[in-house]
Amino acid sequence: MGQGRSQFSEEELQDYQDLTYFTKKEVLYAHQKFKVLAPEKVGHNKNAKLPMSKMLNYPELNVNPFGDRICKVFSSSRDGDCTFEDFLDMMSVFSEAAPKSVKAEHAFRIFDFDGDDMLGISDLKQIIERLIGKDNHLGEQEMERLIQNVLEEADLDDDGALSFAEFEHIIDRSSDFLNVFRMRL
Amino acid sequence: MSGGGNKKKPTKTQGWEEAGSEFYQESYPTDAELDALQRDPNPKHLATLLPSKQTRAAATIRIRTNDNRTIRRQTASRSRRDSTVHRRASTAGDVQVAMLPDLSENLSNEQTTWEEIMQIKGMPVPMSQKKEMKAKILNEPNLRLQGYEQLNWKRRKIWRQFISRLKEMHTKIELWRSALKRIEGHFGTGVVAYFIFLKYLLFLNLFIFTVIFLFIILPTILLVNSDTQNPPNSSNVVFDLIQGTGFMEHSLLFYGFYPNETFDYLVNESVMYYNLPLAYVCITVVYFATSLVSMVKSAANGFKERLIEGEGQFYQYCNFIFGGWDFCIHNEKSAAIKHKAIYNEIKACLAAERLEEMKQNRTKGEHTKLIIVRILVNVIVLAVLGACGTAIFFVFQEFRNESSDDYFEGLLFQFLPSITIVCFNILVPFLFKYLIQFERYSPLVVVRFTLFRTVLLRLASIFTLYITLGSVLTSSEKPNCWETFAGQQIYKLVITDFATHVILTFLVNFPRAFIARHVENKFIKLVGEQSFDLPKHVLDVVYLQTLCWLGCFYAPLLSFIASLIFFFMFYIKKFVCLVNSNPSATVYRASRSNSMFMIVLLVSFVSVVAPLAYSFSEVEPSRGCGPFRDLPSVWSRVEFTFYSTPDWVQSVVAFLSTAGFAVPVFLLLFLLLYYFRAVNAANRQMVVVLKNQLVLEGHDKQFLLERLSKFIKQQQEHQKRLRHVDVLQDGDTNISSN
Repeated sequence: MGQGRSQFSEEELQDYQDLTYFTKKEVLYAHQKFKVLAPEKVGHNKNAKLPMSKMLNYPELNVNPFGDRICKVFSSSRDGDCTFEDFLDMMSVFSEAAPKSVKAEHAFRIFDFDGDDMLGISDLKQIIERLIGKDNHLGEQEMERLIQNVLEEADLDDDGALSFAEFEHIIDRSSDFLNVFRMRL
Repeated sequence: MSGGGNKKKPTKTQGWEEAGSEFYQESYPTDAELDALQRDPNPKHLATLLPSKQTRAAATIRIRTNDNRTIRRQTASRSRRDSTVHRRASTAGDVQVAMLPDLSENLSNEQTTWEEIMQIKGMPVPMSQKKEMKAKILNEPNLRLQGYEQLNWKRRKIWRQFISRLKEMHTKIELWRSALKRIEGHFGTGVVAYFIFLKYLLFLNLFIFTVIFLFIILPTILLVNSDTQNPPNSSNVVFDLIQGTGFMEHSLLFYGFYPNETFDYLVNESVMYYNLPLAYVCITVVYFATSLVSMVKSAANGFKERLIEGEGQFYQYCNFIFGGWDFCIHNEKSAAIKHKAIYNEIKACLAAERLEEMKQNRTKGEHTKLIIVRILVNVIVLAVLGACGTAIFFVFQEFRNESSDDYFEGLLFQFLPSITIVCFNILVPFLFKYLIQFERYSPLVVVRFTLFRTVLLRLASIFTLYITLGSVLTSSEKPNCWETFAGQQIYKLVITDFATHVILTFLVNFPRAFIARHVENKFIKLVGEQSFDLPKHVLDVVYLQTLCWLGCFYAPLLSFIASLIFFFMFYIKKFVCLVNSNPSATVYRASRSNSMFMIVLLVSFVSVVAPLAYSFSEVEPSRGCGPFRDLPSVWSRVEFTFYSTPDWVQSVVAFLSTAGFAVPVFLLLFLLLYYFRAVNAANRQMVVVLKNQLVLEGHDKQFLLERLSKFIKQQQEHQKRLRHVDVLQDGDTNISSN
C-alpha cells in the first residue's frame, strides 16, 4: 500500500473520503484495483484515462450485460472512457453504503439506452435481450407478452413507458434490488 | 417521436446535466422551448416539459448553476433556524425586516457546511464537479458555532470519526471477506446469503459459549477443589474422545461434573457468594432468550421487506428485469449460467401464466385424479417419516445395552443410532424429491414442500431422540446420571453429523465432481455433476444448531464444539460450493432465502425449547450428579431463590400473576391489536384509492396533452391561413397601389 500512498496527497484522500461512500483505505484499495487494469499508464499518471475496452477488463464489468452502459454513465467524457475518479464514482455508487435512492438514480440511467429520460418499449426490449444473453432467444410473442406484463405492473399513468418516478416506485418495493445492485470492492 | 427525437438526441448523448441545463433552466418551459414545441406539437414531446418530469433533472442543474444556497435550504436544521429568525423578526413587530432578504441565510456554520458536503456524495455528477462544489462550500464564509452548540458539534464530529475508524477496522478484520466475495462472484447473492447465515450461526454459538464459559465454567474451574474423583481407568483414549465416555464423562464437558454448591470466597475480607446452580439455570434462560431475540429480529426484517414487496405481488416481472442481474458476478461461466437461469425463469413465469389458464380448464376427472395422487403422496411421506422414527427408536433400544468385547464392534453399536439418523437424513430427501414430481405443483411450491418435508424428517429424528431418552428415564436400568447420558447421545450425534459432512464432501462428492469434469461420458456426467442445492445445505446447518441448543444444557462445552464445527463448516461448504458444484439452475433470491433460513431456524428452535422447558419443570434431576441433585426439578432452584427475596418483590410478582392484573393487560393488548389492525386496513384502502387516483391523473394528463397539441396545431394552421391572407392582402394592396 506504500506505493499507493505516494501517489495521493492526504488532501486528495480527504476529498475522496468526503465525496464518496469510501474510507481513505478503501480509496487506496480501489486505486490498486484500477491500476491492475493498466499498470503502466496508471503508474505514470494516477488519474489516467482508460479506454472503455480496458475498463471492461474489470471482472464484474466484463461479464455484466450492462458493462458498456455502466462505463458510459459514469464516464465524465460520456464516451465510456473512465478516469480513476470516474471509477471511484462508480464503485462508490455500487458500494454497500450507498443508499437506495442513489442507486436507483444510476440504475435508471444505465437502463435508459436511448437517453430520453423514460424507459420505453425499446429500452425494455434491450434490457431483456441483454439479460437473457446472446445464446438464448425469446420468441417475438413472448417478448411482447413480457413487456406487456412489465408495463401492466409498473406503468401507472398508462403512457407506454416508465418514468423515473415509476421506476423508483418499483425499486422501493423490490427488496432484492439493494442486494443485487452492488459490487464488492 | 420523429421531430422531437431529432431534437433531443444530440443533447442527450452529450450527457444528462448538459441536457438538463438546456431543457430545465426554469421549472416551466422557456420561450425557446415553446417555439420548438410549436414546430412539433407532439403529445410525447409536450410530456417532457411537464414539471413532474423536470424536478429530478432540475435538482442536478441547480447545483450546476452555482447556486448552492438551494441545497442549503433543504437541510432540516437550517430551515428550522430560518424559521426562528423569522419569528424573532415578527415578534419585534417590524414588518419591514421580514420583507427584507434574510441575510443570515447566506452565512452558514460549520455544521451545515459539513452536512452540505455530505449531501454532495449522493449527487449524480462526476468527481471533478463534486470537488468544485466542495471547494466552493468550504470557501464561503462560515460562522463558528458558539457555546453549547460548538461543544455538541465537536462531540458529534469526534463520534463520527470514531465510527469511521471502527468501520475501517471492521472491514480489515471482517471474517471471510474475500471468501464471500469469491462465492458471490460465482454463485450470486442468494448463495452468499446462506454463507452469511452460517457466519451468523457461528457468532451465535460463540456468544453462547462465552456466556457459559464466563458464568459456569470459569467459576467451576476456579472455585471447585479438584481431584475429588479419580477418573476411571480408560483403555482407549480415542474411543473415549469420540464417544464421550471414560475420562470425558467426568470432565467439564458434561452436566454431571458440575457441583451443586454455593461457593463462598473472600473479597476484601468480606464473604461473597456464588450460587452455581442458580447461575446454571439463569444462563440457560439468557442464551435461549438472546437466540430468540436475534432470530426474530432478522426474521422480522425479512418479513417486513416481503410484506412491502408482496402487496398483491404486482412487481413480479419488474423484479425479474430490473433486479435480475447480480452485478457482483465476475465469473464468465456463472454469467452464462445466470443468463440461462434468468431466461428459464422468465419462460417459466410466462408458462405459469398459461398453466393458470389451463388449470381453470382442467376437467373434473383430471382434477379428482390429481387430488387423489396428492393425498396418496402425502400418506406415503407420512408413512416414511413414521417408519424412520420407528427404525431409529428400535435401533436405539436394541443396541443401547449391547456390549461387545471387540472395541470396534462396541464402537459400532454405540454409534449405530446416530449413524441411522444420519443415513435417513441423507437418503430420504431423495425419495421426497422423486415423489413430488407426481404432484404437479408449480416450481416455487415444490421447493417449499420439499423443504417442509425434510424439516419434518429432521425433527422426527430429534423427537425420536426425546422419546428414547424418556423411555430410558422410566426404565428400570436408569443410568446413574441421565443428564450426562443425554449429553453423550447428543455429543455423539454432533460428531457423527460432522464426520458425515467431511466424508461426503471430500471422499464421495469431490471424486464424483472430479471424474465428471474430466471424463467425457454422458452417463458419468449425469451421475457426477452436482448443483448447489440450497435448501439441503440450509437444513444441514440448522440441524446442527438444533442439536447444539438441545445439548448445551446437558453438555455446556458443546457450544464451543459447535462453534468450532461451524467454523470448519464454512470451509467445507465453501469447498462444496466452489469445487464440487456447478451453479444451480434455480434462481435464489437473497431477501427471500434469508427469511426462509430464519423461519426454518425458528421452527427448530421451538421444537427444542418446548421439551427442554418441560424437562426443567417436570422431570426430576438425577440424585447423584449435577448442580441440581436433591431438588425436585431444575426450576425449583429458581423458586427457592425467589422465596428468599424481600417480601415486597414477592408481593409484586404475586400481584403480576393475579387475574386483577392479567385481565386488564390482556384487554389492553387486545384493544391495541385491534387498533393497529384497523389502521392497517385503512392504510391498505388508502393505497388502493391513491393508486386509482394516480391512474386517473395519468389519463387526465394524457387527455390534456393530446388536446393541447391539437390546439397548437389548429393555432398554427390558423396563423398560416392568416399569414396567407396577409400575403394575399399585401399582394392586393401592392397591385392596387401600382
